[in-house]
Amino acid sequence: MTASNEQSPALTPRTIRPAVVVGGNRIPFSRAGGAYAKASNQDMLTAALDGLVARFGLADELIGEVAAGAVLKHSRDFNLTREAVLGSALAPQTPAYDLQQACATGLETVIGLANKIKLGQIDSAIAGGVDSASDAPIAVSEGLREILLDLNRAKTIGQKLSILARIRPKDLAPDAPSTGEPRTGLSMGEHQALTTAQWKISREAQDKLALASHQNLAAAYGRGFFDDLMTPYRGLAKDSNLRADTSLEKLASLAPVFGKRLGAEATMTAGNSTPLTDGASTVLLASEEWAAAHDLPMLANVIDGEAAAVDFVHGKDGLLMAPVFAVPRLLARNGLTLGDFDFFEIHEAFAGTVLSTLAAWEDEEFGRARLGLDGAFGSIDRSKLNVNGSSLAAGHPFAATGGRLVATLAKMLHEKGSTNDRPARGLISVCAAGGQGVVAILEGR
Amino acid sequence: MGASAHASTDKYTQFVSRGLGKDLAKKLGLPQPAILRRYEPTAALLTGPVLVEGSSHGAEELAAKLLGWGLDVRRHATPKEKLGAIIIVLDELAHPDELSAPVRSVGASLRDLLPSGRIVTISRPAVDGLEPAVAAARHGVDGIVRSVAKELRAGATANGILLGGGVEPASASAMAALRFFLSGRSAFVDGQFLTAGTPGTLDAVDWERPLAGTVAVVTGAARGIGAAIARTLARDGAQVVAVDVPAAGDHLAAVANEIHGTALQLDITAVDAGQRILDLGFSRYGRLDIVVHNAGITRDKLLANMDAARWDSVIAVNIASQLRMNAAFLADGRFAKGPRIVSVASTSGIAGNRGQSNYAASKAGVIGMVHATAPLLAPSGGAINAVAPGFIETEMTAKIPFATREVARRLNSLSQGGRPEDVAEAIAFFASEAAAGINGNVLRVCGQNLVGQ
Amino acid sequence: MTRDDYQLAEMPSLAKLYLNAAATAARTRVLGSTPSVDLPPRATEVHGVLADIAKMTEYQHLVGKAARDIIPSGYLHSMAFPVAMSVMVREDFPLPLLGMIHLRNQVEHLAPVQFSMPLSIRSWARNLAGHRAGTQVELVVEIRGDGGTDVLWRGVSTYLAKGVYLPGLDKPASAPDIREDFQAPNPTGIWSLGVDAGRAYAAVSGDFNPIHLSVFTAKALGMRRSIAHGMYLAARVLADVGSPKPEGFSWDISFAAPVFLPGTVAVRIADTTAADGSWASSTFAGWNARTGRKHFSGSVATLVS
Repeated sequence: MTASNEQSPALTPRTIRPAVVVGGNRIPFSRAGGAYAKASNQDMLTAALDGLVARFGLADELIGEVAAGAVLKHSRDFNLTREAVLGSALAPQTPAYDLQQACATGLETVIGLANKIKLGQIDSAIAGGVDSASDAPIAVSEGLREILLDLNRAKTIGQKLSILARIRPKDLAPDAPSTGEPRTGLSMGEHQALTTAQWKISREAQDKLALASHQNLAAAYGRGFFDDLMTPYRGLAKDSNLRADTSLEKLASLAPVFGKRLGAEATMTAGNSTPLTDGASTVLLASEEWAAAHDLPMLANVIDGEAAAVDFVHGKDGLLMAPVFAVPRLLARNGLTLGDFDFFEIHEAFAGTVLSTLAAWEDEEFGRARLGLDGAFGSIDRSKLNVNGSSLAAGHPFAATGGRLVATLAKMLHEKGSTNDRPARGLISVCAAGGQGVVAILEGR
Repeated sequence: MGASAHASTDKYTQFVSRGLGKDLAKKLGLPQPAILRRYEPTAALLTGPVLVEGSSHGAEELAAKLLGWGLDVRRHATPKEKLGAIIIVLDELAHPDELSAPVRSVGASLRDLLPSGRIVTISRPAVDGLEPAVAAARHGVDGIVRSVAKELRAGATANGILLGGGVEPASASAMAALRFFLSGRSAFVDGQFLTAGTPGTLDAVDWERPLAGTVAVVTGAARGIGAAIARTLARDGAQVVAVDVPAAGDHLAAVANEIHGTALQLDITAVDAGQRILDLGFSRYGRLDIVVHNAGITRDKLLANMDAARWDSVIAVNIASQLRMNAAFLADGRFAKGPRIVSVASTSGIAGNRGQSNYAASKAGVIGMVHATAPLLAPSGGAINAVAPGFIETEMTAKIPFATREVARRLNSLSQGGRPEDVAEAIAFFASEAAAGINGNVLRVCGQNLVGQ
Repeated sequence: MTRDDYQLAEMPSLAKLYLNAAATAARTRVLGSTPSVDLPPRATEVHGVLADIAKMTEYQHLVGKAARDIIPSGYLHSMAFPVAMSVMVREDFPLPLLGMIHLRNQVEHLAPVQFSMPLSIRSWARNLAGHRAGTQVELVVEIRGDGGTDVLWRGVSTYLAKGVYLPGLDKPASAPDIREDFQAPNPTGIWSLGVDAGRAYAAVSGDFNPIHLSVFTAKALGMRRSIAHGMYLAARVLADVGSPKPEGFSWDISFAAPVFLPGTVAVRIADTTAADGSWASSTFAGWNARTGRKHFSGSVATLVS
């Protein structure tokens, strides 16, 4: 090679190109302690990856990058996604990284990888997420942890013995993770109970939403909607939380579980809240060129995404209300209103979350004071909401929900095709722990 | 899967094949199943010289072709020389008297046949309108093959090739059938005939990867025989679309990934199943050459106790779905360049089986369908054939109670159950381009099961 | 800082101070003593005080603060506490230290203090006064950079010697009862405090007051169970409010009813904003999550200089 004395001209940024959703695959979601009780995050993510690879004939294919994550993660899983890739049928040269944004993990991996594709950094990607509430990491107590770390640093046997002598019975009690917010000590359900009460969401409205979720999910299974979105695992071929035969009466008979110690009227039950769930999901993303070269379908374009967070510690907003702020910003940037969408996928952490979100958007005062609008942000056509069911019926393995939503919506948009001389359009909204929310727009093709 | 030769040989066979077990079995007069010679892509076609018995012009041509395959060909038996195979060319038989010399000559060489050796007859079928003496002679071969097959030991088999009108012993289709019978691909095929109805055209064949460049669909590919078919077709060079019901998707994915194929979770009883298979094949790979109808279910019950659900589901999955999908395939102009369809039938469909009136109806139905569909595919150079497995060692048969299973697996000339790969090899043969001209056959892969033909 | 201050050569040990206090208490019981209504006339001062970075980190983790290099406001209180204690264990201090109840803390945190900065800490007592339940006194602490003149942190802690009535000090005519009129609002947080919360805070703050350590030691001092440190509650609520900007801020916490351990405290924090939308202050309250009885309330506000 010869050195050039010519100055290389300033590099011009590459133009942005579309990133498409090729398809998805998830394993059925299982209620915690069920079919996947003994399966680890890595097991489930590997299974979801292998199903995706099989669906699209990608065995030994080198993918641009794989990103996934888990909310409840063992320290041994420091490189969870890469390890899952190595255990999968993908080419071992496929790079991978872990990402964690609580329940928004899955959606954020889609947005991040889609951006890399749009920028031309990679041509193909797999986004995903996994969580096991059954195989949650149990840490040693803080006291024992410090003793063990000191022990590791000790040099002589004498030092080690004296360090070991510090162990007290209480140090041996394990430290299990809780779904409580570290800064408030309130569980997610308790936070939502406060928000649900604040927005005066009735028990009946929550139960109705839960019923619709089960009915819609059951109907989607019935017409084989998930045949090319799901691969069975451990003998489970359907989400185990699905209750196709539930009814308003059955839901109404359940006792409240959240909000009982908060003074407010308790309306949140096990029926209108998502259970702890195990599962994994993946989404195959690509540039148009890569998809075409591999003769793979293109279901939808990943248009744009937005994250927001709220100050729930000081009680200014509900823990799960960040999407209320993210969506107006995202739509404003894209010159859209709620009326410009054909499908809404609003993650059902709790029925109260969805209904509080809709109530805030429909509230004149909130729109003016908090969203800086002239009035209410708007309302959505409820017949376009979670039409194939959502987390209340399917369950919610935290980091896996985003991939479920994106693959489901992409297929729905592709099936709908175009409408009103434009591609079918869908909005995804995911609330997350820590007062966060991530939202995204997809367009069918 | 990468199973070694021993891995899926049953324990009894292993026991009686070695040392103490072998001696014991001999003394007690127990059946002594041999470890069969099975196909491996790089292995030699035969383990010893091949003797071509017969003096017709066809025999001469055939012997020349075998030399072209690199085989050690003998036109006359050399006393005491071990033989890999004996081919008896009887294409010009006019009277049963003519059987005596060549057949007894072969008889003198039978003791020299190596383990897993092969006897293959080449003759013509006793079709309607023949002179009675000609028909008698030709059909006599049937009895010879089926009897010799029962006399052979140590994994050796006897099978026959029937030449259609205009087909000579050295015609491409007959040679393809011969190669199949000589090779380890036919390890569990014994006492059976293949008909080479038309001469075929192909002479230059990539015998290592006979399916290279083709796209094949295998239904019921998640496990057992279907998974073995998918693996075997992929080994022979086919790009495989593995199909099974959504509930079997995890096993299906594992099979698809192993063979670098694509998994399609699909209920084949769906009205649009054929169309969806076509769409996937053509959108993903731009072609579809081979369809293997393997998916099937059993819902056994004595007819007296048979309910509608059992009967109807077996018919729907095992035969109605195949008819509907074939109609879709045949109606699609893209599936017209020498397409191959292979259906999995069953010995139950030939000989019947207690408690399986529904299953036998569906599998006999498959045979009927194959016969009727063959002429429809012939003009485009396509073919449809069926393979009827006997007792095959699978997860399904592993659930049969031990004693019943032990009896079932010994009730054939090879005294053992076959392997899923044995069925798969026969299917891969039917799917290969070299098998052009072999159409409308039903080949039993049963080790010459004592029941039925 | 005056030449007249009692100068301590080094930071006194809290453990020794508590022993000293116990000895004084015993001696008083045995020998009796003449009640005094005078406070020690001079301040007590220590120079060259350095934060123990390991202890400070443990403190920060315990109360839920990120371990920054700036010393938390509550930790400065803990660092100064031995100095204030040494005022209270002096023989000329008129109230018994043991069993004294923490009523209120008012702090002006005037500037951030780096952990590496040597500090001088000065403390004195003031405003001995009657209380409807005994006698109260204020302990003032000022923290400066060693050799510096600017006060970086000033705290006033109000303590009550329950049941101690000194001659010449009248009870206030209308004792304000801060427990009145408290309606528990919707909480923004719930703290589940284990039975070892007192011991854990004692370990990082050095405040081994027996009423916090165990049921046994608390009962010895007339409490039915051990109670949480007031300063622990203050530190947690400060951590929850977050880091105010600008960094000069004041905080004020009044303690109503003790938090018996184990216990569940419901907390509410509410912000007020300035005209420009920036944070101006937060008010907070903590109460028994089950009974609604108030434990503490107070505020954090910017210090407009």
